[in-house]
Amino acid sequence: MSRQKILNSLAAPLLAVGFSLVVVTIILFAFGSNVFEVFNSMAVYGTSPRSLTLMLNLATTYYISAVAVAIGFKMNLFNIGVNGQYMLGGMCAAAVAGSLNLPGVVAIPITIFVAIAVGAAWAGVAAWLKVARGVSEVISTIMLNFIALGLISYIIIRTNVGRAASFNVRGTEIIPPNGRMVGWNLLSPTIKVYGFIIVAALIGVLYWFVLNRTVFGYDLRASGLSVSAASASGVNSKRMVVIAMLISGGIAGMVGLPDLLGNDPYSYTLNFPSGYGFTGIAIALLGRNNPIGIAFGAILWAFLDVSSQILDIENVPREIVTIMQGVIVLAVVVAYELVRRNRVKSEQQNVGEALTQKESSAS
Amino acid sequence: MKKGVKIGAVLAAAALILTGCSSNNNDAGADVKVGLAYDTGGKGDGSFNDAAFAGLTKAQTDLGVEFKEVEAGLNATDASREELLRLLADTGYNPVIAVGFLYGTALGNVAKDYPDVNFAIVDSVVDSPNVASLIFAAEQASYLVGVIAATASKSGRIGFIGGMEIPLIKNFEVGYNQGAKSVNPNIIIESKYMGPAGDNTSWNVPEKAKTATEGMIAKGVDVAYAAAGGSGLGMFQAIQAAGGPAKNLWAIGVDSDQYTIPSLADVKDVILTSALKRVDVSVFEVIKGVVDDAPLTGVQNFDLTRDGVGYATSNSSVEPFKAAADAAAEKIKSGEIVVKTVK
Amino acid sequence: MGDAPIAVQLTGIWKRFPGVIANSDINLSVRRGSVHAIVGENGAGKSTLMKILYGMQKPDEGTITISGTEVIFQSPSDAIDAGIGMVHQHFMLADNLTVLENIILGSEPTQRGVIKNETALTRLTQLAQQYGLDVPFNSFVSELGVGARQRIEILKVLYRGASILILDEPTAVLVPHEVDELFSALSDLKAEGITILFISHKLDEVLAIADDITVIRAGSTVATVNLHTQKVSADDLAEMMVGSELPTPETRGSTVTDKVLIDVSNLSVLTAAGKPLVDDVSFKIHAGEVLGIAGVEGNGQAEIVDALMGVIKSTGVLVYDGEDISKWSTRKRREQGFGFIPEDRMRQGLLLETSLWENRMLGHQTLKPNSNGFLLTPADAKSDTARIVDEYDVRTPNIDVFASALSGGNQQKLIVGREMSSNPKFLLAAHPTRGVDVGAQAAIWDHLRMARQSGLAVLLISADLDELIGLSDTIKVLLRGKFVADADPLTVTPQELGTAMTGVKKRDEIGNTS
Repeated sequence: MSRQKILNSLAAPLLAVGFSLVVVTIILFAFGSNVFEVFNSMAVYGTSPRSLTLMLNLATTYYISAVAVAIGFKMNLFNIGVNGQYMLGGMCAAAVAGSLNLPGVVAIPITIFVAIAVGAAWAGVAAWLKVARGVSEVISTIMLNFIALGLISYIIIRTNVGRAASFNVRGTEIIPPNGRMVGWNLLSPTIKVYGFIIVAALIGVLYWFVLNRTVFGYDLRASGLSVSAASASGVNSKRMVVIAMLISGGIAGMVGLPDLLGNDPYSYTLNFPSGYGFTGIAIALLGRNNPIGIAFGAILWAFLDVSSQILDIENVPREIVTIMQGVIVLAVVVAYELVRRNRVKSEQQNVGEALTQKESSAS
Repeated sequence: MKKGVKIGAVLAAAALILTGCSSNNNDAGADVKVGLAYDTGGKGDGSFNDAAFAGLTKAQTDLGVEFKEVEAGLNATDASREELLRLLADTGYNPVIAVGFLYGTALGNVAKDYPDVNFAIVDSVVDSPNVASLIFAAEQASYLVGVIAATASKSGRIGFIGGMEIPLIKNFEVGYNQGAKSVNPNIIIESKYMGPAGDNTSWNVPEKAKTATEGMIAKGVDVAYAAAGGSGLGMFQAIQAAGGPAKNLWAIGVDSDQYTIPSLADVKDVILTSALKRVDVSVFEVIKGVVDDAPLTGVQNFDLTRDGVGYATSNSSVEPFKAAADAAAEKIKSGEIVVKTVK
Repeated sequence: MGDAPIAVQLTGIWKRFPGVIANSDINLSVRRGSVHAIVGENGAGKSTLMKILYGMQKPDEGTITISGTEVIFQSPSDAIDAGIGMVHQHFMLADNLTVLENIILGSEPTQRGVIKNETALTRLTQLAQQYGLDVPFNSFVSELGVGARQRIEILKVLYRGASILILDEPTAVLVPHEVDELFSALSDLKAEGITILFISHKLDEVLAIADDITVIRAGSTVATVNLHTQKVSADDLAEMMVGSELPTPETRGSTVTDKVLIDVSNLSVLTAAGKPLVDDVSFKIHAGEVLGIAGVEGNGQAEIVDALMGVIKSTGVLVYDGEDISKWSTRKRREQGFGFIPEDRMRQGLLLETSLWENRMLGHQTLKPNSNGFLLTPADAKSDTARIVDEYDVRTPNIDVFASALSGGNQQKLIVGREMSSNPKFLLAAHPTRGVDVGAQAAIWDHLRMARQSGLAVLLISADLDELIGLSDTIKVLLRGKFVADADPLTVTPQELGTAMTGVKKRDEIGNTS
């Protein structure tokens, strides 16, 4: 039974990855590339100690982003605003961290707190709009992403929060060594695994615990499965929307921290990556909002991103990795739905069979 | 420092002559492999990145070098940019040229670890003995096209379309304004940016630039200048649609000589001139330096005195305005005019 | 009539699932132009049989003969081609399309790719007249009631050329007068030569409409009765179905105390547009009392229940055990002893794609044995779920299956078990035995009676008037959001109640034929 369950939950993602490999193989073949060589060089490059470290670091960021999205998904809230939330949260946290000169045990928690608070506040705007004004969070969070960009740009260019971080690049004050989480040379002597990976793991554990072991988590899941049943069970749906959105935004606020606290230039600059939120949506779908599934999804995604660097050198368009990622997400959504329907159907059948068996053995 | 640069240039020139004399073939750089890294979606912008590519192809034909182009992926981080540069250095590419200031932090880290490889970076300054920092006085070129724009305008209103609102692009606007005001102190300049800092789409939203330009034309603007990468196309299209040269509506391009770019052939008739940022020249010089075993290092300031910036004259319609622009160029070179910049 | 040709003949049908037999030696012959009822308990094998006949499953053995021709169905479309149509219990209609669009959906008459609505309308108008199925073709489905929706489903099937109709529990969702309308339509259909297979476990209805009745028990056909030639009573049928006597919901002896547990005054619920759905209603329920509300569905019952649960906005004062609790949240009400058996279990009572034990928590997630108020206690919840499954005879192989895997009756038993397990002081029970088979129905009634004896106050809503009369201590009739009459359950008949519900007769007190 449990083996069956594990197989069931693995079937969809494995099918999706396999399917996308087939699609990419066909594309490569059509372009006349040596398919085996391409995959081989990706695998060789992707498993070098430096690449693996980069993969873990990138996966750390992706993981936090995907968990932020997944919390929304769990109750049918679509937080597309992770981008804006982490950029604003990261910028404020970096600015505060840059201005602190305290020991790490004090400075780092303050930094994390600021990131959470700002991310949550930004998501809170969308939550308020939804609850008080009925504005779909999909629309409002997209809009808030743009507003966040503009706000950050304004603050860094026109206020004295910003300074010249390097030539032609403006950013926040550089975070002093005390306030960083640079991590450890676990796999490679030349590059460190981000210290924030611990926080990410903690977020994963907390996510699982809150969702599956607390009344609040139950209320959240119930709201996602059926708003009407949840509300009849005593869940205040508006309050739930606000809380879920605040938590999602709070976690989203931390998405930028692995990079900010673990890598040069230790400053939130105007060219800080701006697409982690969307990657998070894809990974949450891939990992089916499950903390372990998301971890695998984040690692897979990061592996593809990192190992794709070799493709330009191999004269293969690196877009094939983007295609592959896109196909994986599409295929996995379809596959999960098929598996879900299959499960519902097969359970009904199993129950039917088991009962008939009982009856016939009784008579 | 400046002296060193000059000597280097002289040496390079001498080397060019020498190689030219000695062998009269073009494979002096046959064993040189050039690695060039664009930023996300950079190649094919018909502007800044393509200028770097032009320098690269010139090096290929003139010097016989091999090259490899790479591009930062979506969601590129400093860490992933760094890996890309490392990969090039590891695989034996030398020189490694990074196009765009976004590579600044990454290049700084990589250069330390590969002291034997020559690096170059466009639009940024990296302080390392094996790095050439290629800096352009874009404000000077913008000043010159500002002069042309103000002279060509009959309405007394000109426009500026910026890409991302960052200091680098602000310098284009400031130089352009100063140049235009030097001709007509009362000129009105409409300015619009395609996105705030951090909005990476800013360089590639021609439809947005088109709408913005249409708005400017409606307000009476008759000459507009775009420093917006791939978005500039939208400005060309809007001006063409509104009647173009027949109605004395002109566009001014940027970075490359956009009048001659094949992908812009459809709209070339409206491109009066372009503010040139000779990224091609700088890239070529970097490669040449390595071929000649005299690599460029330190801050390489490409300004008017070095022909590192300028304005394009391939469209003959610019003829009537050349006198004014050239006069201004002389004054800048002599130091009589100092073009302002923002930090 | 007995000489009518056979429309459907099933011979020796066996259906085995691995190691299990769902249908064993089913033999059935249905005469053309007759209404043939198939009755049996939940899980007796009715569904499997109908799935076989509709091409959704293939029999392992046996033959299907339609109008004398042996057929093998690979899929429902084969069955449709053979003239078989199925009307499901849950309607499959798109709310935002018109009736006409819904009917022709998927088989639109087209001319060069353009839908010809007129062609369809002409044919449908003719069909509707022929079979006496009156529906407004140009209205949106969202504006129509349950009865009309069912007629649409039937028309949909007829439009596709069906001459054999399978109706799965067609009356489960209908109120008495709608049932009458359905039955008169069925008579018209029958007269036009349409054959009807009628699946139900409401025995009195079956007796009213069917020509023949086949009883299925444990996968086999037990008996077929021709009502024109044989006399049979509901009790006889029930005995054939379950091997026991038909239970009655009668409550013996009053347990009403003089302690007022629930005191509702001036309760009103308005639509967004300000139209009253519940209009200034007041009532009291004592501990140990069952207050029954009779009314045609859609007259405000659902809103009264939702308002008392605090799920929707309402005005008025609700006093519970002497305390004004109008401002209490739903959660607080539940924690303080409100039990809730909702009218629509799919919508308000269950999380379908979740395990049974997690469904046991629903509505009681803040209380023992499900949690300590903050942390869930799954182990306790699971063992308590096992107890409920056992005590309430919820037929399931284990408690880890999805709630959606259970049949409707078993879902209902789980809900009733769950609500009774928290020892409620006040129970809001809407259609507590809807879709439940006779055996389980009796068990649920017993549980209600026992709880009532120990002081439970119940607000009972039921479309089953026998149940309402049998269980209630007091009955109030609700019409358009207002109480229009009181009835004495000791004397009132279902017929009188039905009349009052439709507002034909208005009397303060019915049932007392003085």
